[in-house]
Amino acid sequence: MFQGSFRNIRVLFALSGIITLAAVLLFSLIFGSLNLSLSEVVSGLTSSESMFARSIVWDIRLPRFLDAAIAGSCLAVAGVLLQGVTRNSLADPTILGITSAAGLGCAIATFVSSFTPQWAIALSSVGGGLLGAGIIYTFSYQGSTSPVRLALAGVALAAFFGAIIVALLATSQLFVQQSLGFLAGGFYGVGWKELYGLLPYAIFGLVAATFFGTRLNILMLGDDQASSLGVLINRTRGGALLIASVLTAAAVSTAGIVSFVGLVCPHIARILVGNDHRLRIPAAALLGAILVSFADLIARIIIAPSELPMGIITAGIGAPFLLYLVRYRI
Amino acid sequence: MSPHLKIENLTMKYEDRTVLNEINLEFVGGELTAIVGSNGSGKTTLLQGLSGLKQLDEGQVLLNGKNIKSISRKNLARQIAVLTQREELQLDLTVEELVWHGRHPHQSLFKQQTMKDREAVDKAMEAANIKHFAKRRLTKLSEGERQRAWIALTLAQEPHILILDEPTNFLDLGHQVKILSLLEELNRDNGITIIVVLHDLTLAGRFAQRIIGLDNGFVAFDGAPKDVLEREILEKVFGTSMLILEEPQTGEPIPLPLLKHHENN
Repeated sequence: MFQGSFRNIRVLFALSGIITLAAVLLFSLIFGSLNLSLSEVVSGLTSSESMFARSIVWDIRLPRFLDAAIAGSCLAVAGVLLQGVTRNSLADPTILGITSAAGLGCAIATFVSSFTPQWAIALSSVGGGLLGAGIIYTFSYQGSTSPVRLALAGVALAAFFGAIIVALLATSQLFVQQSLGFLAGGFYGVGWKELYGLLPYAIFGLVAATFFGTRLNILMLGDDQASSLGVLINRTRGGALLIASVLTAAAVSTAGIVSFVGLVCPHIARILVGNDHRLRIPAAALLGAILVSFADLIARIIIAPSELPMGIITAGIGAPFLLYLVRYRI
Repeated sequence: MSPHLKIENLTMKYEDRTVLNEINLEFVGGELTAIVGSNGSGKTTLLQGLSGLKQLDEGQVLLNGKNIKSISRKNLARQIAVLTQREELQLDLTVEELVWHGRHPHQSLFKQQTMKDREAVDKAMEAANIKHFAKRRLTKLSEGERQRAWIALTLAQEPHILILDEPTNFLDLGHQVKILSLLEELNRDNGITIIVVLHDLTLAGRFAQRIIGLDNGFVAFDGAPKDVLEREILEKVFGTSMLILEEPQTGEPIPLPLLKHHENN
Protein backbone atom coordinates (compact mmCIF):
# COMPACT_ATOMS: atom_id res chain seq x y z
CA MET A 1 0.00 0.00 0.00
CA PHE A 2 1.06 3.62 -0.47
CA GLN A 3 3.75 2.49 -2.84
CA GLY A 4 4.88 4.04 -6.05
CA SER A 5 7.14 6.76 -7.24
CA PHE A 6 7.40 8.43 -3.83
CA ARG A 7 9.38 5.58 -2.34
CA ASN A 8 12.72 6.95 -3.55
CA ILE A 9 11.90 10.42 -2.27
CA ARG A 10 11.14 8.96 1.12
CA VAL A 11 14.45 7.13 1.23
CA LEU A 12 16.07 10.43 0.35
CA PHE A 13 14.23 12.18 3.20
CA ALA A 14 15.31 9.47 5.62
CA LEU A 15 18.92 9.70 4.52
CA SER A 16 19.04 13.48 4.68
CA GLY A 17 17.44 13.31 8.12
CA ILE A 18 20.06 10.93 9.41
CA ILE A 19 22.86 13.00 7.91
CA THR A 20 21.44 16.17 9.45
CA LEU A 21 21.20 14.49 12.85
CA ALA A 22 24.80 13.31 12.53
CA ALA A 23 25.86 16.86 11.69
CA VAL A 24 24.03 18.21 14.74
CA LEU A 25 25.79 15.56 16.82
CA LEU A 26 29.17 16.63 15.50
CA PHE A 27 28.49 20.33 16.09
CA SER A 28 27.11 19.54 19.55
CA LEU A 29 30.37 17.84 20.45
CA ILE A 30 32.52 20.65 19.01
CA PHE A 31 30.69 23.79 20.10
CA GLY A 32 29.78 25.04 23.53
CA SER A 33 30.96 27.50 26.11
CA LEU A 34 34.37 26.22 25.04
CA ASN A 35 34.95 25.19 21.42
CA LEU A 36 36.96 22.05 20.75
CA SER A 37 38.84 21.03 17.65
CA LEU A 38 37.79 17.97 15.69
CA SER A 39 40.83 16.02 16.86
CA GLU A 40 40.01 16.87 20.49
CA VAL A 41 36.48 15.57 19.95
CA VAL A 42 37.79 12.35 18.43
CA SER A 43 40.30 11.81 21.22
CA GLY A 44 37.62 12.63 23.81
CA LEU A 45 35.36 9.97 22.32
CA THR A 46 37.93 7.27 21.83
CA SER A 47 40.51 7.56 24.57
CA SER A 48 41.02 8.80 28.08
CA GLU A 49 44.38 10.34 27.32
CA SER A 50 43.21 13.91 27.61
CA MET A 51 41.10 14.09 30.74
CA PHE A 52 39.97 17.52 29.68
CA ALA A 53 38.57 16.50 26.27
CA ARG A 54 37.25 13.26 27.72
CA SER A 55 35.24 14.96 30.41
CA ILE A 56 33.75 17.58 28.08
CA VAL A 57 32.93 15.27 25.18
CA TRP A 58 32.13 12.00 26.90
CA ASP A 59 30.74 13.11 30.24
CA ILE A 60 28.90 16.27 29.22
CA ARG A 61 28.21 16.85 25.56
CA LEU A 62 27.52 13.34 24.22
CA PRO A 63 24.99 12.32 26.89
CA ARG A 64 23.35 15.70 26.61
CA PHE A 65 22.97 15.31 22.85
CA LEU A 66 21.52 11.82 23.30
CA ASP A 67 19.14 13.08 25.96
CA ALA A 68 17.94 15.84 23.66
CA ALA A 69 17.60 13.62 20.59
CA ILE A 70 15.69 10.88 22.41
CA ALA A 71 13.46 13.31 24.30
CA GLY A 72 12.71 15.00 20.98
CA SER A 73 11.77 11.68 19.36
CA CYS A 74 9.53 10.82 22.29
CA LEU A 75 7.64 14.12 22.14
CA ALA A 76 7.26 14.03 18.36
CA VAL A 77 5.93 10.46 18.33
CA ALA A 78 3.62 11.25 21.24
CA GLY A 79 2.30 14.09 19.08
CA VAL A 80 1.61 11.78 16.12
CA LEU A 81 -0.24 9.33 18.35
CA LEU A 82 -2.33 12.04 19.95
CA GLN A 83 -3.19 13.73 16.65
CA GLY A 84 -4.16 10.32 15.32
CA VAL A 85 -6.43 9.27 18.16
CA THR A 86 -8.12 12.65 18.50
CA ARG A 87 -8.30 13.19 14.72
CA ASN A 88 -7.38 16.72 15.67
CA SER A 89 -4.40 18.32 14.02
CA LEU A 90 -3.92 20.66 16.97
CA ALA A 91 -3.54 17.89 19.52
CA ASP A 92 -0.16 17.54 21.19
CA PRO A 93 1.08 16.45 24.61
CA THR A 94 1.13 20.02 25.89
CA ILE A 95 -2.34 20.98 24.67
CA LEU A 96 -3.84 17.76 26.02
CA GLY A 97 -2.31 18.45 29.43
CA ILE A 98 -0.11 15.36 29.52
CA THR A 99 3.10 17.41 29.64
CA SER A 100 1.84 19.32 32.66
CA ALA A 101 0.65 16.14 34.35
CA ALA A 102 4.05 14.51 33.85
CA GLY A 103 5.73 17.78 34.87
CA LEU A 104 3.75 17.73 38.10
CA GLY A 105 5.03 14.20 38.73
CA CYS A 106 8.61 15.45 38.27
CA ALA A 107 8.06 18.54 40.35
CA ILE A 108 6.67 16.48 43.24
CA ALA A 109 9.61 14.07 43.07
CA THR A 110 12.14 16.90 43.14
CA PHE A 111 10.15 18.81 45.74
CA VAL A 112 10.17 15.89 48.19
CA SER A 113 13.96 15.88 48.25
CA SER A 114 16.65 17.49 46.16
CA PHE A 115 18.46 14.12 46.27
CA THR A 116 15.67 12.14 44.62
CA PRO A 117 17.34 9.62 42.28
CA GLN A 118 16.73 10.04 38.56
CA TRP A 119 14.88 6.73 38.18
CA ALA A 120 12.41 7.92 40.79
CA ILE A 121 11.95 11.23 39.01
CA ALA A 122 11.32 9.42 35.72
CA LEU A 123 8.92 7.02 37.41
CA SER A 124 7.06 9.84 39.10
CA SER A 125 6.89 11.64 35.76
CA VAL A 126 5.43 8.58 34.05
CA GLY A 127 2.99 8.19 36.93
CA GLY A 128 1.92 11.79 36.51
CA GLY A 129 1.57 11.42 32.75
CA LEU A 130 -0.54 8.29 33.06
CA LEU A 131 -2.68 9.89 35.74
CA GLY A 132 -3.22 12.87 33.45
CA ALA A 133 -4.13 10.65 30.51
CA GLY A 134 -6.46 8.65 32.76
CA ILE A 135 -8.21 11.81 33.91
CA ILE A 136 -8.60 13.07 30.35
CA TYR A 137 -9.94 9.72 29.19
CA THR A 138 -12.36 9.41 32.09
CA PHE A 139 -13.73 12.89 31.68
CA SER A 140 -14.03 12.73 27.93
CA TYR A 141 -15.42 9.20 27.82
CA GLN A 142 -19.17 8.96 27.45
CA GLY A 143 -19.82 5.64 25.80
CA SER A 144 -17.07 6.54 23.39
CA THR A 145 -14.32 9.12 23.31
CA SER A 146 -14.93 12.04 20.99
CA PRO A 147 -12.01 14.13 19.71
CA VAL A 148 -13.56 17.39 20.86
CA ARG A 149 -14.18 16.23 24.42
CA LEU A 150 -10.66 14.83 24.61
CA ALA A 151 -9.12 18.15 23.54
CA LEU A 152 -11.26 20.25 25.87
CA ALA A 153 -10.53 18.03 28.86
CA GLY A 154 -6.83 18.37 28.01
CA VAL A 155 -6.89 22.14 27.95
CA ALA A 156 -8.50 22.22 31.40
CA LEU A 157 -5.98 19.73 32.76
CA ALA A 158 -3.00 21.63 31.33
CA ALA A 159 -4.06 24.85 33.01
CA PHE A 160 -4.75 23.18 36.35
CA PHE A 161 -1.57 21.10 36.61
CA GLY A 162 0.52 23.94 35.19
CA ALA A 163 -0.60 26.16 38.05
CA ILE A 164 0.29 23.53 40.67
CA ILE A 165 3.75 23.08 39.15
CA VAL A 166 4.48 26.79 39.37
CA ALA A 167 3.27 26.83 42.96
CA LEU A 168 5.51 23.88 43.85
CA LEU A 169 8.57 25.31 42.14
CA ALA A 170 8.02 28.72 43.70
CA THR A 171 8.16 27.20 47.17
CA SER A 172 10.92 24.67 46.46
CA GLN A 173 14.63 24.88 47.19
CA LEU A 174 15.57 24.81 43.50
CA PHE A 175 17.69 27.53 42.00
CA VAL A 176 15.87 29.97 39.75
CA GLN A 177 17.78 28.76 36.71
CA GLN A 178 16.79 25.15 37.38
CA SER A 179 13.17 26.11 37.90
CA LEU A 180 13.12 28.24 34.78
CA GLY A 181 14.89 25.51 32.84
CA PHE A 182 12.22 23.07 33.93
CA LEU A 183 9.30 25.35 33.12
CA ALA A 184 10.64 26.49 29.76
CA GLY A 185 12.19 23.12 28.93
CA GLY A 186 15.88 22.45 28.59
CA PHE A 187 18.83 20.20 29.27
CA TYR A 188 20.81 22.32 31.68
CA GLY A 189 23.23 20.00 33.43
CA VAL A 190 21.73 16.70 32.28
CA GLY A 191 23.98 13.73 31.52
CA TRP A 192 24.17 9.94 31.52
CA LYS A 193 22.15 9.63 34.71
CA GLU A 194 19.14 11.33 33.11
CA LEU A 195 19.61 9.30 29.96
CA TYR A 196 19.39 6.03 31.89
CA GLY A 197 16.23 7.25 33.60
CA LEU A 198 14.64 8.13 30.28
CA LEU A 199 15.78 5.21 28.15
CA PRO A 200 13.57 2.30 29.30
CA TYR A 201 10.38 4.30 28.83
CA ALA A 202 11.56 5.77 25.53
CA ILE A 203 12.42 2.37 24.08
CA PHE A 204 9.14 0.86 25.24
CA GLY A 205 7.11 3.79 23.94
CA LEU A 206 8.85 4.17 20.58
CA VAL A 207 8.65 0.45 19.82
CA ALA A 208 5.03 0.18 20.96
CA ALA A 209 4.05 3.22 18.88
CA THR A 210 5.06 1.49 15.66
CA PHE A 211 2.35 -1.11 16.24
CA PHE A 212 -0.33 1.57 16.08
CA GLY A 213 0.37 2.87 12.57
CA THR A 214 -2.21 0.84 10.67
CA ARG A 215 -4.93 1.26 13.24
CA LEU A 216 -4.42 5.02 13.38
CA ASN A 217 -4.70 5.10 9.59
CA ILE A 218 -8.07 3.37 9.77
CA LEU A 219 -9.25 5.52 12.65
CA MET A 220 -9.02 8.45 10.25
CA LEU A 221 -12.06 7.03 8.43
CA GLY A 222 -14.32 7.77 11.41
CA ASP A 223 -15.15 5.69 14.48
CA ASP A 224 -18.04 3.64 13.11
CA GLN A 225 -16.32 2.94 9.81
CA ALA A 226 -13.10 1.93 11.59
CA SER A 227 -15.03 -0.27 13.96
CA SER A 228 -16.78 -1.97 11.06
CA LEU A 229 -13.34 -2.69 9.60
CA GLY A 230 -12.42 -4.62 12.72
CA VAL A 231 -10.58 -1.96 14.75
CA LEU A 232 -11.37 -1.95 18.47
CA ILE A 233 -11.86 1.78 18.84
CA ASN A 234 -11.64 2.34 22.57
CA ARG A 235 -8.79 -0.07 23.03
CA THR A 236 -6.84 1.62 20.23
CA ARG A 237 -7.54 5.09 21.61
CA GLY A 238 -6.73 4.06 25.16
CA GLY A 239 -3.55 2.24 24.11
CA ALA A 240 -2.24 5.09 21.99
CA LEU A 241 -3.05 7.58 24.74
CA LEU A 242 -1.17 5.44 27.25
CA ILE A 243 1.90 5.14 25.05
CA ALA A 244 1.84 8.85 24.24
CA SER A 245 1.76 9.56 27.98
CA VAL A 246 4.73 7.31 28.71
CA LEU A 247 6.71 8.93 25.89
CA THR A 248 5.83 12.44 27.01
CA ALA A 249 6.65 11.67 30.61
CA ALA A 250 9.99 10.16 29.63
CA ALA A 251 10.89 13.37 27.79
CA VAL A 252 9.62 15.62 30.57
CA SER A 253 11.70 13.78 33.17
CA THR A 254 14.88 15.08 31.53
CA ALA A 255 13.80 18.09 29.50
CA GLY A 256 11.10 19.69 31.61
CA ILE A 257 8.12 21.25 29.90
CA VAL A 258 8.92 21.48 26.21
CA SER A 259 6.15 22.83 24.02
CA PHE A 260 5.63 22.79 20.27
CA VAL A 261 7.82 19.75 19.46
CA GLY A 262 4.89 17.35 19.71
CA LEU A 263 2.78 19.69 17.64
CA VAL A 264 5.17 20.77 14.92
CA CYS A 265 7.09 17.56 14.13
CA PRO A 266 4.01 15.47 13.25
CA HIS A 267 2.95 18.19 10.82
CA ILE A 268 6.34 18.43 9.14
CA ALA A 269 6.36 14.63 8.96
CA ARG A 270 2.99 14.71 7.24
CA ILE A 271 4.16 17.26 4.73
CA LEU A 272 7.25 15.14 3.99
CA VAL A 273 5.90 11.57 3.96
CA GLY A 274 2.13 11.96 3.79
CA ASN A 275 -0.70 10.73 5.96
CA ASP A 276 0.31 7.11 6.42
CA HIS A 277 0.99 6.78 10.15
CA ARG A 278 3.31 3.84 9.56
CA LEU A 279 5.68 6.30 7.89
CA ARG A 280 4.71 9.33 9.89
CA ILE A 281 5.78 7.78 13.21
CA PRO A 282 9.43 7.09 12.26
CA ALA A 283 9.63 10.35 10.30
CA ALA A 284 8.40 12.35 13.28
CA ALA A 285 10.83 10.51 15.55
CA LEU A 286 13.73 11.56 13.36
CA LEU A 287 12.48 15.13 13.05
CA GLY A 288 11.94 15.41 16.79
CA ALA A 289 15.48 14.23 17.43
CA ILE A 290 16.86 16.79 14.98
CA LEU A 291 14.72 19.67 16.18
CA VAL A 292 15.38 19.26 19.89
CA SER A 293 19.09 18.46 19.64
CA PHE A 294 19.55 21.38 17.26
CA ALA A 295 17.55 23.69 19.55
CA ASP A 296 19.68 22.57 22.49
CA LEU A 297 22.85 23.28 20.54
CA ILE A 298 21.65 26.80 19.77
CA ALA A 299 20.53 27.29 23.39
CA ARG A 300 24.03 26.38 24.57
CA ILE A 301 26.01 28.54 22.18
CA ILE A 302 23.88 31.59 21.48
CA ILE A 303 24.85 33.47 24.66
CA ALA A 304 27.86 31.29 25.62
CA PRO A 305 29.30 30.84 28.17
CA SER A 306 25.81 31.28 29.63
CA GLU A 307 22.87 29.37 28.15
CA LEU A 308 19.18 29.81 27.36
CA PRO A 309 16.47 27.33 28.29
CA MET A 310 16.12 25.15 25.18
CA GLY A 311 12.32 25.52 25.15
CA ILE A 312 12.76 29.14 24.10
CA ILE A 313 14.43 28.00 20.89
CA THR A 314 11.81 25.32 20.11
CA ALA A 315 9.11 27.90 20.78
CA GLY A 316 10.96 30.35 18.54
CA ILE A 317 10.92 27.80 15.73
CA GLY A 318 7.57 26.21 16.58
CA ALA A 319 5.38 29.26 17.06
CA PRO A 320 5.94 30.81 13.61
CA PHE A 321 5.52 27.40 12.04
CA LEU A 322 2.22 26.90 13.87
CA LEU A 323 1.04 30.28 12.57
CA TYR A 324 2.00 29.18 9.09
CA LEU A 325 -0.02 25.98 9.54
CA VAL A 326 -3.03 27.87 10.80
CA ARG A 327 -2.88 30.19 7.80
CA TYR A 328 -2.15 27.74 5.03
CA ARG A 329 -2.52 24.13 6.09
CA ILE A 330 -5.35 23.71 8.58
CA MET B 1 -22.90 -21.10 2.61
CA SER B 2 -25.18 -18.18 2.09
CA PRO B 3 -25.31 -16.00 5.18
CA HIS B 4 -28.27 -15.83 7.42
CA LEU B 5 -28.82 -12.87 9.67
CA LYS B 6 -31.51 -12.97 12.28
CA ILE B 7 -32.63 -10.30 14.74
CA GLU B 8 -34.49 -11.44 17.81
CA ASN B 9 -36.41 -9.08 20.10
CA LEU B 10 -34.00 -6.26 19.40
CA THR B 11 -34.47 -3.22 21.61
CA MET B 12 -32.11 -0.26 21.45
CA LYS B 13 -32.22 2.96 23.41
CA TYR B 14 -30.57 6.36 23.35
CA GLU B 15 -30.43 7.44 26.95
CA ASP B 16 -34.08 7.08 28.02
CA ARG B 17 -35.62 7.11 24.57
CA THR B 18 -36.41 3.74 23.06
CA VAL B 19 -35.36 3.93 19.41
CA LEU B 20 -36.06 0.36 18.42
CA ASN B 21 -38.73 -1.75 20.06
CA GLU B 22 -38.54 -5.52 20.11
CA ILE B 23 -37.69 -5.89 16.45
CA ASN B 24 -37.73 -9.35 14.88
CA LEU B 25 -36.36 -9.66 11.37
CA GLU B 26 -34.65 -12.22 9.26
CA PHE B 27 -32.37 -11.73 6.28
CA VAL B 28 -31.70 -14.74 4.13
CA GLY B 29 -28.69 -14.91 1.83
CA GLY B 30 -28.77 -13.21 -1.53
CA GLU B 31 -31.49 -10.65 -0.90
CA LEU B 32 -31.35 -6.96 -1.66
CA THR B 33 -33.38 -5.29 1.05
CA ALA B 34 -34.17 -1.61 1.39
CA ILE B 35 -35.00 -0.10 4.76
CA VAL B 36 -37.15 3.01 4.63
CA GLY B 37 -38.88 5.18 7.19
CA SER B 38 -39.27 8.74 8.33
CA ASN B 39 -36.45 10.65 10.02
CA GLY B 40 -35.79 9.34 13.52
CA SER B 41 -37.65 6.10 12.89
CA GLY B 42 -34.59 4.06 13.89
CA LYS B 43 -33.09 3.10 10.51
CA THR B 44 -29.49 3.99 11.32
CA THR B 45 -29.78 2.50 14.81
CA LEU B 46 -31.08 -0.73 13.28
CA LEU B 47 -28.05 -0.92 10.99
CA GLN B 48 -25.71 -0.22 13.91
CA GLY B 49 -27.32 -2.97 15.97
CA LEU B 50 -27.37 -5.35 13.04
CA SER B 51 -23.67 -4.92 12.33
CA GLY B 52 -22.53 -4.94 15.95
CA LEU B 53 -21.42 -1.29 15.95
CA LYS B 54 -23.65 -0.41 18.90
CA GLN B 55 -24.51 -2.42 21.94
CA LEU B 56 -27.99 -3.83 22.11
CA ASP B 57 -30.14 -3.06 25.13
CA GLU B 58 -32.15 -6.23 24.69
CA GLY B 59 -32.37 -9.11 22.25
CA GLN B 60 -29.71 -10.55 20.03
CA VAL B 61 -28.42 -10.63 16.48
CA LEU B 62 -27.48 -14.04 15.10
CA LEU B 63 -25.17 -14.55 12.14
CA ASN B 64 -25.57 -18.07 10.83
CA GLY B 65 -26.99 -19.01 14.21
CA LYS B 66 -24.15 -17.48 16.22
CA ASN B 67 -24.60 -14.42 18.42
CA ILE B 68 -22.49 -11.66 16.85
CA LYS B 69 -21.39 -10.58 20.32
CA SER B 70 -19.35 -13.75 20.50
CA ILE B 71 -17.67 -13.12 17.13
CA SER B 72 -14.46 -11.08 17.19
CA ARG B 73 -14.58 -7.64 15.57
CA LYS B 74 -12.15 -8.65 12.83
CA ASN B 75 -13.89 -11.91 12.08
CA LEU B 76 -17.20 -10.06 11.87
CA ALA B 77 -15.59 -7.52 9.52
CA ARG B 78 -14.68 -10.35 7.15
CA GLN B 79 -18.36 -11.28 6.90
CA ILE B 80 -20.28 -8.04 7.28
CA ALA B 81 -19.10 -4.80 5.67
CA VAL B 82 -20.72 -1.53 6.60
CA LEU B 83 -20.73 1.80 4.84
CA THR B 84 -21.71 4.30 7.50
CA GLN B 85 -22.91 7.84 7.00
CA ARG B 86 -19.78 9.88 7.20
CA GLU B 87 -18.94 13.01 9.05
CA GLU B 88 -17.29 15.66 6.93
CA LEU B 89 -13.86 14.12 6.66
CA GLN B 90 -11.11 15.75 4.67
CA LEU B 91 -9.17 12.61 3.93
CA ASP B 92 -5.91 13.20 2.17
CA LEU B 93 -5.80 9.76 0.54
CA THR B 94 -5.87 8.40 -2.96
CA VAL B 95 -8.75 6.16 -4.01
CA GLU B 96 -6.51 3.11 -3.96
CA GLU B 97 -5.18 3.89 -0.49
CA LEU B 98 -8.75 4.12 0.79
CA VAL B 99 -9.72 0.81 -0.79
CA TRP B 100 -6.66 -0.89 0.73
CA HIS B 101 -8.06 -0.15 4.18
CA GLY B 102 -10.78 -2.65 3.36
CA ARG B 103 -8.19 -5.40 3.66
CA HIS B 104 -7.54 -4.68 7.32
CA PRO B 105 -9.80 -7.48 8.61
CA HIS B 106 -7.79 -9.97 6.54
CA GLN B 107 -4.41 -8.75 7.67
CA SER B 108 -2.46 -9.33 10.84
CA LEU B 109 0.85 -8.20 12.25
CA PHE B 110 2.70 -10.93 10.39
CA LYS B 111 0.48 -11.11 7.33
CA GLN B 112 0.32 -7.81 5.51
CA GLN B 113 -0.23 -6.98 1.87
CA THR B 114 -0.27 -10.41 0.33
CA MET B 115 -0.96 -11.08 -3.34
CA LYS B 116 -4.47 -12.04 -2.31
CA ASP B 117 -4.96 -8.58 -0.81
CA ARG B 118 -3.73 -6.96 -4.03
CA GLU B 119 -6.16 -9.06 -6.06
CA ALA B 120 -9.06 -8.25 -3.76
CA VAL B 121 -8.33 -4.53 -4.00
CA ASP B 122 -8.15 -4.70 -7.79
CA LYS B 123 -11.34 -6.68 -7.97
CA ALA B 124 -13.15 -4.29 -5.66
CA MET B 125 -12.06 -1.29 -7.71
CA GLU B 126 -13.09 -3.02 -10.89
CA ALA B 127 -16.51 -3.90 -9.53
CA ALA B 128 -17.09 -0.32 -8.39
CA ASN B 129 -15.79 0.91 -11.75
CA ILE B 130 -13.20 3.23 -10.23
CA LYS B 131 -10.00 1.66 -11.48
CA HIS B 132 -9.38 4.43 -13.97
CA PHE B 133 -9.06 6.98 -11.18
CA ALA B 134 -7.37 4.76 -8.60
CA LYS B 135 -4.46 7.17 -8.18
CA ARG B 136 -6.58 10.30 -7.79
CA ARG B 137 -7.05 11.91 -4.41
CA LEU B 138 -10.44 11.60 -2.73
CA THR B 139 -10.66 15.35 -2.32
CA LYS B 140 -10.48 15.78 -6.09
CA LEU B 141 -13.46 13.52 -6.85
CA SER B 142 -17.11 14.31 -7.39
CA GLU B 143 -19.53 13.15 -4.70
CA GLY B 144 -20.68 10.23 -6.87
CA GLU B 145 -17.15 9.05 -7.63
CA ARG B 146 -16.20 9.33 -3.98
CA GLN B 147 -19.18 7.25 -2.93
CA ARG B 148 -18.11 4.53 -5.37
CA ALA B 149 -14.63 4.59 -3.85
CA TRP B 150 -16.12 4.06 -0.39
CA ILE B 151 -18.24 1.19 -1.70
CA ALA B 152 -15.06 -0.34 -3.15
CA LEU B 153 -13.54 -0.13 0.33
CA THR B 154 -16.34 -2.31 1.67
CA LEU B 155 -16.03 -4.70 -1.28
CA ALA B 156 -12.33 -5.18 -0.57
CA GLN B 157 -13.45 -6.71 2.72
CA GLU B 158 -14.96 -9.50 0.60
CA PRO B 159 -18.05 -9.56 2.79
CA HIS B 160 -21.04 -11.87 2.49
CA ILE B 161 -23.29 -9.13 3.72
CA LEU B 162 -23.06 -5.46 2.80
CA ILE B 163 -24.91 -2.90 4.89
CA LEU B 164 -25.15 0.69 3.65
CA ASP B 165 -26.60 3.72 5.41
CA GLU B 166 -28.09 6.14 2.89
CA PRO B 167 -25.40 5.71 0.24
CA THR B 168 -27.32 7.91 -2.20
CA ASN B 169 -27.42 10.98 0.02
CA PHE B 170 -26.32 14.20 -1.68
CA LEU B 171 -26.25 12.55 -5.10
CA ASP B 172 -28.20 13.70 -8.14
CA LEU B 173 -30.71 11.30 -9.66
CA GLY B 174 -28.28 9.98 -12.27
CA HIS B 175 -25.67 9.12 -9.67
CA GLN B 176 -28.28 7.64 -7.33
CA VAL B 177 -29.31 5.25 -10.09
CA LYS B 178 -25.67 4.42 -10.81
CA ILE B 179 -24.96 3.54 -7.16
CA LEU B 180 -28.11 1.43 -6.86
CA SER B 181 -27.38 -0.31 -10.17
CA LEU B 182 -23.94 -1.13 -8.80
CA LEU B 183 -25.51 -2.63 -5.66
CA GLU B 184 -27.99 -4.58 -7.77
CA GLU B 185 -25.12 -5.94 -9.84
CA LEU B 186 -23.11 -6.93 -6.77
CA ASN B 187 -26.16 -8.66 -5.39
CA ARG B 188 -26.94 -10.49 -8.64
CA ASP B 189 -23.44 -11.36 -9.87
CA ASN B 190 -21.51 -11.81 -6.62
CA GLY B 191 -24.37 -13.04 -4.48
CA ILE B 192 -23.73 -10.43 -1.76
CA THR B 193 -26.62 -9.93 0.61
CA ILE B 194 -27.36 -6.22 0.66
CA ILE B 195 -29.24 -4.21 3.25
CA VAL B 196 -29.49 -0.54 2.38
CA VAL B 197 -31.21 2.43 3.99
CA LEU B 198 -32.86 4.62 1.38
CA HIS B 199 -35.07 7.69 1.47
CA ASP B 200 -36.44 7.51 -2.04
CA LEU B 201 -39.39 5.11 -2.09
CA THR B 202 -39.56 4.98 -5.87
CA LEU B 203 -35.94 3.94 -6.18
CA ALA B 204 -36.33 1.52 -3.28
CA GLY B 205 -39.28 -0.04 -5.11
CA ARG B 206 -37.35 -0.34 -8.35
CA PHE B 207 -34.18 -1.88 -7.00
CA ALA B 208 -35.00 -3.82 -3.85
CA GLN B 209 -36.57 -7.25 -3.71
CA ARG B 210 -37.83 -6.50 -0.25
CA ILE B 211 -38.69 -3.30 1.58
CA ILE B 212 -38.83 -2.90 5.34
CA GLY B 213 -40.55 0.20 6.65
CA LEU B 214 -39.75 1.46 10.13
CA ASP B 215 -42.09 3.70 12.07
CA ASN B 216 -41.16 5.00 15.52
CA GLY B 217 -39.00 2.02 16.34
CA PHE B 218 -41.45 -0.61 15.09
CA VAL B 219 -41.54 -2.54 11.84
CA ALA B 220 -44.51 -1.02 10.03
CA PHE B 221 -44.27 -3.14 6.91
CA ASP B 222 -42.04 -5.80 5.43
CA GLY B 223 -42.40 -7.45 2.06
CA ALA B 224 -41.98 -7.28 -1.71
CA PRO B 225 -42.40 -3.76 -3.15
CA LYS B 226 -45.66 -4.58 -4.90
CA ASP B 227 -47.13 -5.83 -1.62
CA VAL B 228 -46.05 -3.05 0.71
CA LEU B 229 -45.97 0.11 -1.39
CA GLU B 230 -49.63 0.71 -0.76
CA ARG B 231 -51.36 3.98 -0.12
CA GLU B 232 -52.73 3.35 3.38
CA ILE B 233 -49.46 1.89 4.64
CA LEU B 234 -47.27 4.69 3.32
CA GLU B 235 -49.66 7.44 4.43
CA LYS B 236 -49.53 6.11 7.97
CA VAL B 237 -45.76 5.78 8.07
CA PHE B 238 -44.84 9.05 6.39
CA GLY B 239 -47.81 11.12 7.51
CA THR B 240 -48.55 12.50 4.08
CA SER B 241 -51.17 11.75 1.45
CA MET B 242 -49.97 9.41 -1.25
CA LEU B 243 -50.90 8.30 -4.70
CA ILE B 244 -49.66 4.99 -6.08
CA LEU B 245 -49.13 4.88 -9.85
CA GLU B 246 -48.26 1.86 -11.92
CA GLU B 247 -45.21 1.53 -14.08
CA PRO B 248 -46.76 1.06 -17.54
CA GLN B 249 -44.61 -1.89 -18.59
CA THR B 250 -43.92 -3.89 -15.45
CA GLY B 251 -46.79 -2.81 -13.28
CA GLU B 252 -44.44 -1.94 -10.44
CA PRO B 253 -45.92 0.50 -7.91
CA ILE B 254 -44.62 4.07 -8.04
CA PRO B 255 -45.46 5.98 -4.85
CA LEU B 256 -46.06 9.67 -5.29
CA PRO B 257 -46.73 12.18 -2.53
CA LEU B 258 -49.97 14.01 -2.97
CA LEU B 259 -49.81 17.74 -2.34
CA LYS B 260 -52.54 19.94 -0.88
CA HIS B 261 -53.54 21.55 -4.19
CA HIS B 262 -53.78 18.08 -5.80
CA GLU B 263 -56.21 16.94 -3.14
CA ASN B 264 -58.43 19.97 -3.68
CA ASN B 265 -58.79 19.27 -7.38
